[in-house]
Amino acid sequence: MMASLPRRIIKETQRLSHEPVPGIIAVPDEQNARYFHVDVTGPSESPFEGGTFKLELFLPEDYPMAPPKVRFMTKIYHPNIDKLGRICLDILKDKWSPALQIRTVLLSIQALLSAPNPDDPLANDVAEQWKVNESHAIETAKAWTRLYAMKS
Amino acid sequence: MGNCLKTPTADDISLLHEGRAGSETGDSSENLGPPPPYQEEAPIYHPTPNTARPVTQLTEDEQIRIAQRLGLIQHLPSGVYDGSKKGRECVICMNDFVIGDPIRLLPCCHIYHKDCIDDWLMRSFTCPSCMEPVDAALLTTYQTN
Repeated sequence: MMASLPRRIIKETQRLSHEPVPGIIAVPDEQNARYFHVDVTGPSESPFEGGTFKLELFLPEDYPMAPPKVRFMTKIYHPNIDKLGRICLDILKDKWSPALQIRTVLLSIQALLSAPNPDDPLANDVAEQWKVNESHAIETAKAWTRLYAMKS
Repeated sequence: MGNCLKTPTADDISLLHEGRAGSETGDSSENLGPPPPYQEEAPIYHPTPNTARPVTQLTEDEQIRIAQRLGLIQHLPSGVYDGSKKGRECVICMNDFVIGDPIRLLPCCHIYHKDCIDDWLMRSFTCPSCMEPVDAALLTTYQTN
């Protein structure tokens, strides 16, 4: 027996498909309406431009009291995203508010791609590179984008 | 968090872990002694937004803080939605306010369904919309009035 889906999740899903956010596609899984397959376009004028990054997003049982769980599936060279795709973003942790939505979370993640923050690192080696030699780090990020996020 | 439990073996059975009994509650074997007095599901509290623990596993400090918060929440004005405020939907459940819905008004003037906001305030004493800490705001309201 499937637990009924809260109205809020149904509404958010409908709004995501009827009024999509530019550069973001979020589609619920056919088997599990709390699990979303997400594509985020790399923001222009960032090292991720031209790439399409796959993420998974899961709405836990106590959503929206608890934040969604989000992870990058596509490899990405970014100081706030680690090897496993885990994201260091305050709103996914202690700054979560139930007024936030799937839409705003994904927009924040897209913004994080435009503005890496090496002072609050999750991937320490990447953050170090970003601080020591930023232009080299940006080149690496571009190379990874071409290699992993531009499959034709 | 850090739940590194291995597959349960015979000597893992412990009454201390009744919280995650889950599937195998059917048979309470005689060598475990009498069942603990209150077997009903203990209410779950959130001493911090990201932790959830049954009431039996809270520290004394956490119990005090939760009790204080329960008290503070009771002081926040509540009422029934009468259609005069034009906040169309509760941002927590995303349902439209319907005349007669029990609502709560925070000091920052944001309104929510009572059940929705009380659930959140027990986790974090902030307004979901403006992130203003509710207790600080409460004090200011008391001072100015």
